[in-house]
Amino acid sequence: MTTSLVALHQVTKTYGSGHTAVTALHPTDFALQAGEFATVIGPSGSGKTTLLTIVGSLQQPSSGQVLINGQDTTDFSERRRTDLRFNTFGFMLQASNLIPFLTVKDQLALVDRFNHHKQHEMSMTDLFTMLGITDLANAYPAALSGGERQRVSIARALYNDPPIILADEPTASLDTSRAMKVVDLLGDIAHKMNRGVVMITHDTRLLDPVDTVYEMRDGHLTTLDSAGLAKIRAAAL
Amino acid sequence: MFLASKEILHNKARYLLVVVTFVLISYLVFFLTGLATGLARNNRTAIDALPGNYVLMSKYANKNLLSSVVTEDQYDQVASKDTALLGQMTIVAENPKTNKKLNSNIFGINLQGKLKPTVTSGRLPTKNSEVLADDSVTYYGLKRGDRITLNGSNQKYHIVGLTHDRRFATVPVFYTTLATFRQVKYGQSRVHNVSAVVSTRKMTDLPKHTEQITRATLINNIPGYTAQTSTFMLMIGAMIGITLLIIGIFMYILTIQKVAMYGVMRAQGIRTSAIIAALFWQILILAVVGVGIGIGLLALTEVGLPKTIPFYSDTMLLSMIAGALIVMSLVGGLFSLRRILHIDPLEAIGGE
Ligand SMILES: Nc1ncnc2c1ncn2[C@@H]1O[C@H](COP(=O)(O)OP(=O)(O)OP(=O)(O)O)[C@@H](O)[C@H]1O
Ligand SMILES: [Mg+2]
Repeated sequence: MTTSLVALHQVTKTYGSGHTAVTALHPTDFALQAGEFATVIGPSGSGKTTLLTIVGSLQQPSSGQVLINGQDTTDFSERRRTDLRFNTFGFMLQASNLIPFLTVKDQLALVDRFNHHKQHEMSMTDLFTMLGITDLANAYPAALSGGERQRVSIARALYNDPPIILADEPTASLDTSRAMKVVDLLGDIAHKMNRGVVMITHDTRLLDPVDTVYEMRDGHLTTLDSAGLAKIRAAAL
Repeated sequence: MFLASKEILHNKARYLLVVVTFVLISYLVFFLTGLATGLARNNRTAIDALPGNYVLMSKYANKNLLSSVVTEDQYDQVASKDTALLGQMTIVAENPKTNKKLNSNIFGINLQGKLKPTVTSGRLPTKNSEVLADDSVTYYGLKRGDRITLNGSNQKYHIVGLTHDRRFATVPVFYTTLATFRQVKYGQSRVHNVSAVVSTRKMTDLPKHTEQITRATLINNIPGYTAQTSTFMLMIGAMIGITLLIIGIFMYILTIQKVAMYGVMRAQGIRTSAIIAALFWQILILAVVGVGIGIGLLALTEVGLPKTIPFYSDTMLLSMIAGALIVMSLVGGLFSLRRILHIDPLEAIGGE
Protein backbone atom coordinates (compact mmCIF):
# COMPACT_ATOMS: atom_id res chain seq x y z
CA MET A 1 0.00 0.00 0.00
CA THR A 2 1.27 3.50 -0.85
CA THR A 3 1.47 6.11 1.87
CA SER A 4 -1.50 8.42 2.14
CA LEU A 5 -1.03 12.05 1.24
CA VAL A 6 -2.65 12.91 4.54
CA ALA A 7 -3.19 10.72 7.57
CA LEU A 8 -4.66 11.91 10.86
CA HIS A 9 -4.46 9.64 13.89
CA GLN A 10 -6.66 10.38 16.88
CA VAL A 11 -6.45 14.09 16.31
CA THR A 12 -8.33 16.38 18.67
CA LYS A 13 -8.69 20.10 18.95
CA THR A 14 -9.81 22.10 21.94
CA TYR A 15 -10.00 25.89 21.75
CA GLY A 16 -9.41 27.83 24.94
CA SER A 17 -9.02 26.24 28.37
CA GLY A 18 -10.86 25.79 31.66
CA HIS A 19 -14.50 26.80 31.72
CA THR A 20 -14.42 28.38 28.31
CA ALA A 21 -12.84 25.40 26.57
CA VAL A 22 -14.59 24.31 23.37
CA THR A 23 -13.84 20.91 21.96
CA ALA A 24 -14.14 21.43 18.23
CA LEU A 25 -12.74 18.06 17.28
CA HIS A 26 -13.04 14.78 19.14
CA PRO A 27 -10.48 12.04 18.43
CA THR A 28 -10.56 11.76 14.69
CA ASP A 29 -8.93 9.53 12.09
CA PHE A 30 -8.81 10.72 8.53
CA ALA A 31 -6.87 9.80 5.38
CA LEU A 32 -6.58 11.20 1.89
CA GLN A 33 -5.01 9.51 -1.14
CA ALA A 34 -3.66 10.99 -4.33
CA GLY A 35 -6.45 11.20 -6.90
CA GLU A 36 -9.13 11.24 -4.23
CA PHE A 37 -11.83 13.89 -4.01
CA ALA A 38 -13.19 13.99 -0.47
CA THR A 39 -15.83 16.30 0.94
CA VAL A 40 -16.85 17.14 4.46
CA ILE A 41 -20.44 18.18 5.07
CA GLY A 42 -22.10 19.09 8.32
CA PRO A 43 -23.81 21.89 10.20
CA SER A 44 -22.30 25.23 10.99
CA GLY A 45 -19.95 25.15 13.94
CA SER A 46 -19.49 21.39 13.80
CA GLY A 47 -15.71 21.59 13.29
CA LYS A 48 -15.24 21.31 9.51
CA THR A 49 -12.92 24.30 9.16
CA THR A 50 -11.02 23.18 12.22
CA LEU A 51 -10.35 19.82 10.59
CA LEU A 52 -9.26 21.45 7.35
CA THR A 53 -6.86 23.87 9.05
CA ILE A 54 -5.25 21.02 10.94
CA VAL A 55 -4.85 19.01 7.74
CA GLY A 56 -3.38 22.08 6.05
CA SER A 57 -0.93 22.78 8.87
CA LEU A 58 -2.52 26.15 9.52
CA GLN A 59 -2.76 25.18 13.15
CA GLN A 60 -1.61 22.37 15.37
CA PRO A 61 -3.91 19.79 16.90
CA SER A 62 -4.34 19.61 20.66
CA SER A 63 -3.37 15.96 20.51
CA GLY A 64 -2.86 13.21 17.96
CA GLN A 65 -0.65 12.89 14.93
CA VAL A 66 -0.78 14.56 11.53
CA LEU A 67 1.20 12.82 8.80
CA ILE A 68 1.75 14.54 5.48
CA ASN A 69 3.27 12.26 2.84
CA GLY A 70 4.01 9.87 5.66
CA GLN A 71 5.96 12.47 7.60
CA ASP A 72 4.90 13.33 11.14
CA THR A 73 4.47 17.10 11.32
CA THR A 74 3.70 17.27 15.03
CA ASP A 75 7.06 18.72 15.99
CA PHE A 76 7.53 20.96 12.97
CA SER A 77 8.67 24.51 13.66
CA GLU A 78 6.51 27.38 12.44
CA ARG A 79 9.06 27.95 9.68
CA ARG A 80 8.80 24.35 8.46
CA ARG A 81 5.03 24.54 8.54
CA THR A 82 5.18 27.68 6.43
CA ASP A 83 7.31 25.96 3.84
CA LEU A 84 5.10 22.88 4.01
CA ARG A 85 2.08 25.03 3.26
CA PHE A 86 3.86 26.72 0.42
CA ASN A 87 4.99 23.50 -1.21
CA THR A 88 2.27 21.02 -0.35
CA PHE A 89 -1.06 22.77 -0.10
CA GLY A 90 -3.22 24.90 -2.29
CA PHE A 91 -5.77 26.70 -0.15
CA MET A 92 -9.15 28.09 -0.93
CA LEU A 93 -10.22 29.52 2.37
CA GLN A 94 -13.65 30.47 3.53
CA ALA A 95 -12.92 34.22 3.62
CA SER A 96 -10.84 36.05 1.06
CA ASN A 97 -7.89 34.23 -0.41
CA LEU A 98 -6.57 36.97 -2.57
CA ILE A 99 -4.22 39.81 -1.84
CA PRO A 100 -6.15 43.02 -2.46
CA PHE A 101 -3.33 45.04 -3.99
CA LEU A 102 -2.20 42.43 -6.53
CA THR A 103 -3.72 41.90 -9.95
CA VAL A 104 -4.86 38.39 -10.81
CA LYS A 105 -1.64 37.84 -12.70
CA ASP A 106 0.47 39.11 -9.81
CA GLN A 107 -1.33 36.84 -7.33
CA LEU A 108 0.32 33.98 -9.17
CA ALA A 109 3.53 35.85 -9.95
CA LEU A 110 4.01 36.20 -6.21
CA VAL A 111 4.48 32.43 -6.02
CA ASP A 112 7.36 32.72 -8.48
CA ARG A 113 9.03 35.36 -6.30
CA PHE A 114 9.52 32.72 -3.63
CA ASN A 115 10.03 29.76 -5.90
CA HIS A 116 12.45 30.81 -8.58
CA HIS A 117 13.48 27.49 -10.02
CA LYS A 118 10.28 25.61 -10.18
CA GLN A 119 8.90 24.50 -13.53
CA HIS A 120 5.15 24.71 -13.32
CA GLU A 121 3.14 21.77 -14.54
CA MET A 122 0.58 24.22 -15.86
CA SER A 123 1.70 27.66 -16.96
CA MET A 124 -0.16 30.72 -15.88
CA THR A 125 -1.67 31.05 -19.34
CA ASP A 126 -2.86 27.44 -19.32
CA LEU A 127 -4.43 27.84 -15.90
CA PHE A 128 -6.19 31.04 -16.91
CA THR A 129 -7.49 29.39 -20.05
CA MET A 130 -8.65 26.32 -18.18
CA LEU A 131 -10.51 28.47 -15.63
CA GLY A 132 -11.78 30.99 -18.17
CA ILE A 133 -10.20 33.99 -16.48
CA THR A 134 -7.74 35.07 -19.18
CA ASP A 135 -9.51 38.41 -19.56
CA LEU A 136 -9.22 39.09 -15.85
CA ALA A 137 -5.44 38.82 -15.71
CA ASN A 138 -4.93 42.52 -15.02
CA ALA A 139 -7.93 43.05 -12.74
CA TYR A 140 -7.72 43.58 -8.98
CA PRO A 141 -9.73 41.26 -6.70
CA ALA A 142 -12.11 44.06 -5.70
CA ALA A 143 -13.30 44.25 -9.30
CA LEU A 144 -14.17 40.53 -9.54
CA SER A 145 -17.45 38.76 -8.88
CA GLY A 146 -17.62 36.06 -6.24
CA GLY A 147 -17.38 33.29 -8.83
CA GLU A 148 -14.49 34.95 -10.60
CA ARG A 149 -12.70 35.30 -7.30
CA GLN A 150 -13.21 31.61 -6.59
CA ARG A 151 -11.74 30.69 -9.96
CA VAL A 152 -8.77 32.97 -9.36
CA SER A 153 -8.35 31.29 -5.96
CA ILE A 154 -8.30 27.92 -7.69
CA ALA A 155 -5.70 29.16 -10.15
CA ARG A 156 -3.65 30.51 -7.28
CA ALA A 157 -4.04 27.25 -5.34
CA LEU A 158 -3.01 25.12 -8.34
CA TYR A 159 -0.17 27.28 -9.59
CA ASN A 160 2.51 25.90 -7.32
CA ASP A 161 1.50 22.30 -8.25
CA PRO A 162 0.57 21.31 -4.71
CA PRO A 163 -0.24 17.64 -4.26
CA ILE A 164 -3.15 18.60 -1.98
CA ILE A 165 -5.93 21.14 -2.52
CA LEU A 166 -7.99 22.23 0.48
CA ALA A 167 -11.17 24.15 -0.24
CA ASP A 168 -13.42 25.58 2.46
CA GLU A 169 -16.91 26.15 1.01
CA PRO A 170 -15.65 27.24 -2.40
CA THR A 171 -19.20 27.33 -3.74
CA ALA A 172 -20.77 29.35 -0.94
CA SER A 173 -21.19 32.57 -2.89
CA LEU A 174 -22.07 30.97 -6.23
CA ASP A 175 -25.32 30.12 -8.00
CA THR A 176 -25.98 26.43 -8.67
CA SER A 177 -24.62 26.21 -12.19
CA ARG A 178 -21.42 28.05 -11.32
CA ALA A 179 -21.09 26.04 -8.13
CA MET A 180 -21.44 22.88 -10.17
CA LYS A 181 -18.63 24.02 -12.47
CA VAL A 182 -16.30 24.67 -9.57
CA VAL A 183 -17.04 21.28 -8.06
CA ASP A 184 -16.52 19.57 -11.42
CA LEU A 185 -13.24 21.39 -11.73
CA LEU A 186 -12.10 20.22 -8.31
CA GLY A 187 -13.11 16.71 -9.35
CA ASP A 188 -10.97 16.98 -12.48
CA ILE A 189 -8.07 18.23 -10.42
CA ALA A 190 -8.33 15.10 -8.27
CA HIS A 191 -9.01 12.58 -10.98
CA LYS A 192 -7.15 13.91 -14.03
CA MET A 193 -4.27 15.62 -12.26
CA ASN A 194 -4.02 12.99 -9.54
CA ARG A 195 -4.14 15.42 -6.64
CA GLY A 196 -5.78 14.93 -3.29
CA VAL A 197 -8.70 17.30 -2.83
CA VAL A 198 -10.67 18.03 0.34
CA MET A 199 -13.73 20.25 -0.03
CA ILE A 200 -16.00 21.50 2.70
CA THR A 201 -19.53 22.23 1.60
CA HIS A 202 -23.02 22.74 2.85
CA ASP A 203 -24.57 21.87 -0.45
CA THR A 204 -25.39 18.16 -0.74
CA ARG A 205 -26.63 18.53 -4.30
CA LEU A 206 -23.12 19.04 -5.61
CA LEU A 207 -21.56 15.74 -4.69
CA ASP A 208 -21.56 13.90 -8.03
CA PRO A 209 -17.82 13.86 -8.74
CA VAL A 210 -16.97 13.21 -5.10
CA ASP A 211 -15.30 9.94 -4.10
CA THR A 212 -15.69 10.05 -0.34
CA VAL A 213 -18.22 11.95 1.72
CA TYR A 214 -17.62 12.63 5.40
CA GLU A 215 -20.07 14.08 7.80
CA MET A 216 -19.02 16.25 10.73
CA ARG A 217 -21.33 16.53 13.72
CA ASP A 218 -20.28 18.21 16.97
CA GLY A 219 -16.68 17.37 16.32
CA HIS A 220 -17.24 13.78 15.34
CA LEU A 221 -16.30 12.73 11.81
CA THR A 222 -18.01 9.81 10.12
CA THR A 223 -17.84 8.37 6.61
CA LEU A 224 -21.14 8.39 4.79
CA ASP A 225 -22.11 5.51 2.53
CA SER A 226 -24.60 6.07 -0.27
CA ALA A 227 -27.54 5.22 1.98
CA GLY A 228 -26.49 7.74 4.60
CA LEU A 229 -25.96 10.31 1.92
CA ALA A 230 -29.42 9.68 0.49
CA LYS A 231 -30.87 10.20 3.95
CA ILE A 232 -29.13 13.51 4.37
CA ARG A 233 -30.21 14.61 0.95
CA ALA A 234 -33.78 13.73 1.71
CA ALA A 235 -33.60 15.69 4.95
CA ALA A 236 -32.20 18.70 3.12
CA LEU A 237 -35.08 18.77 0.67
CA MET B 1 10.33 45.14 -3.14
CA PHE B 2 7.67 43.45 -5.29
CA LEU B 3 5.04 43.37 -2.55
CA ALA B 4 6.10 46.74 -1.19
CA SER B 5 5.88 48.67 -4.41
CA LYS B 6 2.75 46.93 -5.69
CA GLU B 7 0.92 47.79 -2.51
CA ILE B 8 2.05 51.41 -2.55
CA LEU B 9 0.94 51.81 -6.15
CA HIS B 10 -2.42 50.19 -5.48
CA ASN B 11 -3.16 52.25 -2.37
CA LYS B 12 -1.78 55.54 -3.58
CA ALA B 13 -3.93 57.80 -1.43
CA ARG B 14 -3.09 55.99 1.76
CA TYR B 15 0.64 55.97 1.16
CA LEU B 16 0.58 59.51 -0.17
CA LEU B 17 -0.31 60.53 3.37
CA VAL B 18 2.84 58.86 4.63
CA VAL B 19 4.90 60.55 1.93
CA VAL B 20 3.37 63.94 2.77
CA THR B 21 4.28 63.37 6.39
CA PHE B 22 7.84 62.63 5.37
CA VAL B 23 7.93 65.72 3.16
CA LEU B 24 6.68 68.01 5.91
CA ILE B 25 8.97 66.63 8.58
CA SER B 26 12.03 66.54 6.39
CA TYR B 27 11.38 69.99 4.99
CA LEU B 28 11.01 71.42 8.47
CA VAL B 29 14.15 69.68 9.70
CA PHE B 30 16.13 70.76 6.65
CA PHE B 31 14.93 74.32 6.94
CA LEU B 32 15.85 74.47 10.61
CA THR B 33 19.22 72.96 9.80
CA GLY B 34 19.78 75.54 7.07
CA LEU B 35 18.97 78.37 9.48
CA ALA B 36 21.13 76.87 12.20
CA THR B 37 24.05 76.44 9.83
CA GLY B 38 23.57 79.92 8.40
CA LEU B 39 23.46 81.51 11.82
CA ALA B 40 26.45 79.52 13.03
CA ARG B 41 28.41 80.53 9.96
CA ASN B 42 27.54 84.17 10.46
CA ASN B 43 29.17 83.87 13.83
CA ARG B 44 32.34 82.23 12.74
CA THR B 45 33.40 82.46 9.11
CA ALA B 46 35.96 85.19 9.81
CA ILE B 47 37.48 82.99 12.52
CA ASP B 48 37.39 79.88 10.33
CA ALA B 49 39.40 81.87 7.81
CA LEU B 50 42.21 82.59 10.27
CA PRO B 51 45.32 80.86 8.98
CA GLY B 52 46.38 79.50 12.36
CA ASN B 53 44.70 77.20 14.82
CA TYR B 54 46.18 78.82 17.94
CA VAL B 55 45.09 82.08 19.46
CA LEU B 56 46.66 83.95 22.34
CA MET B 57 44.28 86.06 24.38
CA SER B 58 44.32 87.80 27.72
CA LYS B 59 43.43 85.48 30.51
CA TYR B 60 40.73 87.63 32.06
CA ALA B 61 38.85 87.70 28.74
CA ASN B 62 37.40 84.30 29.56
CA LYS B 63 38.12 83.09 26.00
CA ASN B 64 35.94 85.83 24.62
CA LEU B 65 37.72 87.66 21.81
CA LEU B 66 35.53 90.74 22.32
CA SER B 67 37.02 91.43 25.73
CA SER B 68 40.61 90.38 25.11
CA VAL B 69 43.51 92.85 25.12
CA VAL B 70 47.05 91.73 24.42
CA THR B 71 49.72 94.33 25.10
CA GLU B 72 52.84 94.96 23.08
CA ASP B 73 55.04 93.42 25.81
CA GLN B 74 52.94 90.29 25.68
CA TYR B 75 52.82 89.81 21.93
CA ASP B 76 56.45 90.66 21.46
CA GLN B 77 57.23 87.71 23.70
CA VAL B 78 55.60 85.18 21.37
CA ALA B 79 56.32 86.97 18.10
CA SER B 80 57.72 84.72 15.39
CA LYS B 81 57.27 84.04 11.70
CA ASP B 82 54.24 81.88 12.62
CA THR B 83 52.29 84.58 14.39
CA ALA B 84 50.15 87.54 13.37
CA LEU B 85 48.35 90.26 15.30
CA LEU B 86 44.62 90.71 15.30
CA GLY B 87 42.65 93.65 16.68
CA GLN B 88 38.93 93.12 16.92
CA MET B 89 36.32 95.66 17.75
CA THR B 90 32.55 95.72 17.49
CA ILE B 91 31.52 98.93 15.76
CA VAL B 92 28.76 100.67 13.91
CA ALA B 93 29.58 101.64 10.35
CA GLU B 94 27.61 104.43 8.77
CA ASN B 95 27.36 105.88 5.32
CA PRO B 96 26.82 109.56 6.16
CA LYS B 97 25.32 110.24 2.76
CA THR B 98 22.51 107.77 3.18
CA ASN B 99 22.51 107.63 6.99
CA LYS B 100 22.60 103.86 6.57
CA LYS B 101 23.95 102.31 9.76
CA LEU B 102 25.27 98.82 10.07
CA ASN B 103 26.41 96.81 13.08
CA SER B 104 29.74 95.28 12.24
CA ASN B 105 33.26 94.46 13.32
CA ILE B 106 36.61 95.74 12.41
CA PHE B 107 39.50 93.35 12.22
CA GLY B 108 42.71 95.35 12.39
CA ILE B 109 45.53 93.38 10.80
CA ASN B 110 48.77 93.70 8.95
CA LEU B 111 47.21 93.82 5.50
CA GLN B 112 50.27 92.31 3.87
CA GLY B 113 50.75 89.66 6.56
CA LYS B 114 49.45 86.20 7.29
CA LEU B 115 45.86 87.32 7.94
CA LYS B 116 45.58 89.05 4.56
CA PRO B 117 42.05 88.28 3.35
CA THR B 118 41.27 87.09 -0.16
CA VAL B 119 39.93 89.95 -2.24
CA THR B 120 36.88 89.02 -4.33
CA SER B 121 36.37 92.45 -5.88
CA GLY B 122 38.29 95.71 -5.78
CA ARG B 123 41.66 95.71 -4.04
CA LEU B 124 43.33 95.54 -0.65
CA PRO B 125 43.54 98.76 1.35
CA THR B 126 46.90 100.50 1.08
CA LYS B 127 46.23 103.38 3.43
CA ASN B 128 44.86 103.77 6.95
CA SER B 129 41.77 105.43 5.50
CA GLU B 130 40.88 102.44 3.36
CA VAL B 131 38.99 99.29 4.38
CA LEU B 132 38.10 95.94 2.87
CA ALA B 133 34.53 94.79 3.64
CA ASP B 134 32.80 91.45 3.78
CA ASP B 135 30.53 91.34 0.76
CA SER B 136 27.45 90.80 2.94
CA VAL B 137 27.53 94.58 3.66
CA THR B 138 26.03 94.94 0.21
CA TYR B 139 22.85 93.19 1.47
CA TYR B 140 22.45 96.02 3.95
CA GLY B 141 22.83 98.94 1.60
CA LEU B 142 26.59 99.58 1.59
CA LYS B 143 28.75 99.02 -1.45
CA ARG B 144 32.27 99.17 -2.72
CA GLY B 145 33.31 102.80 -3.24
CA ASP B 146 31.25 104.09 -0.29
CA ARG B 147 32.92 106.28 2.26
CA ILE B 148 31.84 105.34 5.74
CA THR B 149 32.42 106.46 9.30
CA LEU B 150 33.33 103.97 12.03
CA ASN B 151 31.64 104.60 15.39
CA GLY B 152 30.84 108.15 14.33
CA SER B 153 34.42 109.07 13.47
CA ASN B 154 35.17 112.32 11.67
CA GLN B 155 37.49 110.37 9.45
CA LYS B 156 35.81 108.75 6.44
CA TYR B 157 36.95 105.31 5.45
CA HIS B 158 36.84 104.28 1.83
CA ILE B 159 35.60 100.75 1.03
CA VAL B 160 38.13 99.82 -1.65
CA GLY B 161 37.40 96.12 -1.91
CA LEU B 162 35.22 93.23 -0.86
CA THR B 163 35.98 89.81 0.51
CA HIS B 164 33.68 86.82 0.99
CA ASP B 165 32.44 84.81 4.00
CA ARG B 166 34.04 86.95 6.65
CA ARG B 167 31.56 87.49 9.41
CA PHE B 168 32.04 87.42 13.13
CA ALA B 169 29.47 87.37 15.94
CA THR B 170 26.69 87.42 13.29
CA VAL B 171 27.79 90.73 11.69
CA PRO B 172 30.13 91.57 8.79
CA VAL B 173 33.82 92.33 9.22
CA PHE B 174 35.70 95.34 7.88
CA TYR B 175 39.41 94.69 7.55
CA THR B 176 41.52 97.71 8.43
CA THR B 177 45.12 98.40 9.23
CA LEU B 178 46.22 97.91 12.83
CA ALA B 179 46.68 101.68 13.06
CA THR B 180 43.08 102.29 12.10
CA PHE B 181 41.91 99.69 14.62
CA ARG B 182 43.89 101.44 17.36
CA GLN B 183 42.62 104.82 16.23
CA VAL B 184 39.02 103.69 16.41
CA LYS B 185 39.39 101.74 19.61
CA TYR B 186 41.71 103.99 21.64
CA GLY B 187 41.32 107.31 19.85
CA GLN B 188 45.01 107.25 18.98
CA SER B 189 47.36 104.88 17.29
CA ARG B 190 50.14 105.11 19.85
CA VAL B 191 48.57 102.52 22.11
CA HIS B 192 49.92 99.35 20.57
CA ASN B 193 47.43 96.89 22.05
CA VAL B 194 45.75 94.21 19.94
CA SER B 195 43.00 91.73 20.78
CA ALA B 196 44.79 88.50 20.06
CA VAL B 197 47.79 86.82 18.49
CA VAL B 198 47.07 84.16 15.88
CA SER B 199 49.66 81.46 15.37
CA THR B 200 50.00 78.54 13.03
CA ARG B 201 52.00 76.69 15.63
CA LYS B 202 51.37 76.07 19.26
CA MET B 203 53.00 78.89 21.17
CA THR B 204 55.26 78.11 24.11
CA ASP B 205 56.47 80.30 26.97
CA LEU B 206 53.22 82.18 27.16
CA PRO B 207 53.43 85.68 28.59
CA LYS B 208 51.90 86.35 31.99
CA HIS B 209 48.15 86.87 32.13
CA THR B 210 47.55 85.33 28.74
CA GLU B 211 46.12 82.03 27.62
CA GLN B 212 46.30 80.06 24.44
CA ILE B 213 43.15 78.59 22.93
CA THR B 214 42.25 76.95 19.65
CA ARG B 215 40.09 78.44 16.96
CA ALA B 216 37.31 76.02 17.88
CA THR B 217 37.38 77.18 21.50
CA LEU B 218 37.33 80.76 20.38
CA ILE B 219 34.27 80.08 18.25
CA ASN B 220 32.45 78.26 21.04
CA ASN B 221 33.03 81.26 23.27
CA ILE B 222 31.60 83.84 20.92
CA PRO B 223 28.78 85.22 23.08
CA GLY B 224 25.56 83.43 22.22
CA TYR B 225 27.14 80.98 19.80
CA THR B 226 26.93 77.82 21.90
CA ALA B 227 23.46 78.69 23.15
CA GLN B 228 22.21 79.17 19.60
CA THR B 229 23.74 76.06 18.15
CA SER B 230 22.69 73.84 21.01
CA THR B 231 19.12 75.15 20.84
CA PHE B 232 18.97 74.35 17.16
CA MET B 233 20.60 70.98 17.64
CA LEU B 234 18.07 70.10 20.30
CA MET B 235 15.21 71.10 18.04
CA ILE B 236 16.58 69.15 15.09
CA GLY B 237 17.32 66.13 17.26
CA ALA B 238 13.81 66.24 18.68
CA MET B 239 12.33 66.41 15.19
CA ILE B 240 14.33 63.38 14.13
CA GLY B 241 13.15 61.54 17.21
CA ILE B 242 9.57 62.52 16.50
CA THR B 243 9.96 61.13 13.00
CA LEU B 244 10.57 57.75 14.53
CA LEU B 245 7.36 57.99 16.52
CA ILE B 246 5.15 59.41 13.78
CA ILE B 247 6.27 57.03 11.07
CA GLY B 248 6.41 54.11 13.48
CA ILE B 249 2.85 54.69 14.64
CA PHE B 250 1.66 55.34 11.09
CA MET B 251 3.10 52.08 9.80
CA TYR B 252 1.82 50.24 12.86
CA ILE B 253 -1.73 51.36 12.15
CA LEU B 254 -1.37 50.32 8.53
CA THR B 255 0.01 46.96 9.65
CA ILE B 256 -2.87 46.32 12.00
CA GLN B 257 -5.31 47.03 9.20
CA LYS B 258 -3.57 44.42 7.10
CA VAL B 259 -3.48 41.58 9.60
CA ALA B 260 -6.11 39.49 7.80
CA MET B 261 -4.29 39.96 4.52
CA TYR B 262 -1.01 38.95 6.13
CA GLY B 263 -2.86 35.91 7.45
CA VAL B 264 -3.74 34.97 3.87
CA MET B 265 -0.10 35.30 2.90
CA ARG B 266 0.99 33.20 5.86
CA ALA B 267 -1.61 30.57 4.95
CA GLN B 268 -0.28 30.51 1.41
CA GLY B 269 3.09 29.67 2.86
CA ILE B 270 4.75 33.04 2.42
CA ARG B 271 7.41 33.42 5.06
CA THR B 272 7.26 36.05 7.75
CA SER B 273 10.64 37.27 6.58
CA ALA B 274 9.13 38.19 3.21
CA ILE B 275 6.37 40.16 4.93
CA ILE B 276 8.90 41.95 7.12
CA ALA B 277 11.06 42.70 4.10
CA ALA B 278 8.01 44.20 2.37
CA LEU B 279 7.35 46.41 5.39
CA PHE B 280 10.87 47.80 5.49
CA TRP B 281 11.07 48.20 1.73
CA GLN B 282 7.88 50.19 1.95
CA ILE B 283 9.23 52.45 4.63
CA LEU B 284 12.44 52.89 2.66
CA ILE B 285 10.62 53.77 -0.56
CA LEU B 286 8.27 56.19 1.19
CA ALA B 287 11.08 57.77 3.17
CA VAL B 288 13.39 58.22 0.20
CA VAL B 289 10.61 59.74 -1.90
CA GLY B 290 9.38 61.96 0.94
CA VAL B 291 12.83 63.14 1.99
CA GLY B 292 13.75 63.64 -1.67
CA ILE B 293 10.76 65.93 -2.18
CA GLY B 294 11.69 67.69 1.07
CA ILE B 295 15.15 68.39 -0.34
CA GLY B 296 13.58 69.67 -3.56
CA LEU B 297 11.35 72.05 -1.61
CA LEU B 298 14.35 73.21 0.37
CA ALA B 299 16.23 74.01 -2.83
CA LEU B 300 13.26 76.04 -4.05
CA THR B 301 13.03 77.85 -0.74
CA GLU B 302 16.70 78.68 -0.83
CA VAL B 303 16.27 80.38 -4.19
CA GLY B 304 13.39 82.49 -2.93
CA LEU B 305 14.85 83.41 0.45
CA PRO B 306 16.19 86.99 0.96
CA LYS B 307 19.96 87.06 1.45
CA THR B 308 19.66 88.82 4.78
CA ILE B 309 18.16 85.66 6.30
CA PRO B 310 21.00 83.53 7.53
CA PHE B 311 20.39 80.34 5.63
CA TYR B 312 23.06 77.98 4.40
CA SER B 313 22.62 74.45 3.09
CA ASP B 314 25.61 72.36 3.92
CA THR B 315 25.32 69.36 1.59
CA MET B 316 27.26 67.09 3.89
CA LEU B 317 25.16 67.98 6.93
CA LEU B 318 21.88 67.75 5.02
CA SER B 319 22.75 64.31 3.66
CA MET B 320 23.57 63.17 7.17
CA ILE B 321 20.24 64.43 8.44
CA ALA B 322 18.40 62.89 5.46
CA GLY B 323 20.14 59.62 6.32
CA ALA B 324 19.18 59.97 9.97
CA LEU B 325 15.52 60.59 9.06
CA ILE B 326 15.48 57.50 6.86
CA VAL B 327 17.19 55.35 9.47
CA MET B 328 14.83 56.62 12.16
CA SER B 329 11.77 55.78 10.10
CA LEU B 330 13.14 52.28 9.52
CA VAL B 331 13.64 51.99 13.27
CA GLY B 332 10.01 53.12 13.60
CA GLY B 333 9.10 50.05 11.54
CA LEU B 334 10.23 47.92 14.47
CA PHE B 335 6.99 48.85 16.25
CA SER B 336 5.14 46.77 13.68
CA LEU B 337 7.61 43.94 13.77
CA ARG B 338 6.19 42.34 16.87
CA ARG B 339 2.71 42.32 15.40
CA ILE B 340 3.91 40.77 12.16
CA LEU B 341 5.91 38.12 13.95
CA HIS B 342 2.74 37.11 15.74
CA ILE B 343 0.57 36.84 12.66
CA ASP B 344 -1.23 33.55 12.71
CA PRO B 345 -2.17 31.97 9.38
CA LEU B 346 -5.53 31.33 11.02
CA GLU B 347 -6.16 35.08 10.84
CA ALA B 348 -6.86 34.43 7.19
CA ILE B 349 -10.12 32.76 8.18
CA GLY B 350 -10.94 35.42 10.73
CA GLY B 351 -13.64 37.90 9.81
CA GLU B 352 -16.06 35.19 8.72
N1 LIG C 1 -10.07 30.21 16.80
C1 LIG C 1 -11.09 29.71 17.55
N2 LIG C 1 -11.17 29.97 18.85
C2 LIG C 1 -12.16 29.49 19.62
N3 LIG C 1 -13.14 28.72 19.15
C3 LIG C 1 -13.13 28.42 17.84
C4 LIG C 1 -12.12 28.91 16.98
N4 LIG C 1 -12.35 28.45 15.73
C5 LIG C 1 -13.48 27.71 15.83
N5 LIG C 1 -13.94 27.68 17.09
C6 LIG C 1 -15.10 26.97 17.55
O1 LIG C 1 -14.95 25.61 17.18
C7 LIG C 1 -16.15 25.09 16.70
C8 LIG C 1 -15.97 24.58 15.30
O2 LIG C 1 -15.69 25.67 14.43
P1 LIG C 1 -15.43 25.50 12.88
O3 LIG C 1 -15.03 26.83 12.36
O4 LIG C 1 -14.49 24.38 12.67
O5 LIG C 1 -16.88 25.13 12.35
P2 LIG C 1 -17.37 24.89 10.86
O6 LIG C 1 -17.90 23.52 10.81
O7 LIG C 1 -16.30 25.25 9.90
O8 LIG C 1 -18.55 25.94 10.76
P3 LIG C 1 -19.08 26.76 9.48
O9 LIG C 1 -19.82 25.82 8.64
O10 LIG C 1 -19.95 27.79 10.09
O11 LIG C 1 -17.87 27.33 8.81
C9 LIG C 1 -17.18 26.19 16.80
O12 LIG C 1 -17.90 26.02 17.99
C10 LIG C 1 -16.36 27.44 16.87
O13 LIG C 1 -17.02 28.41 17.64
MG1 LIG D 1 -16.05 26.78 8.50
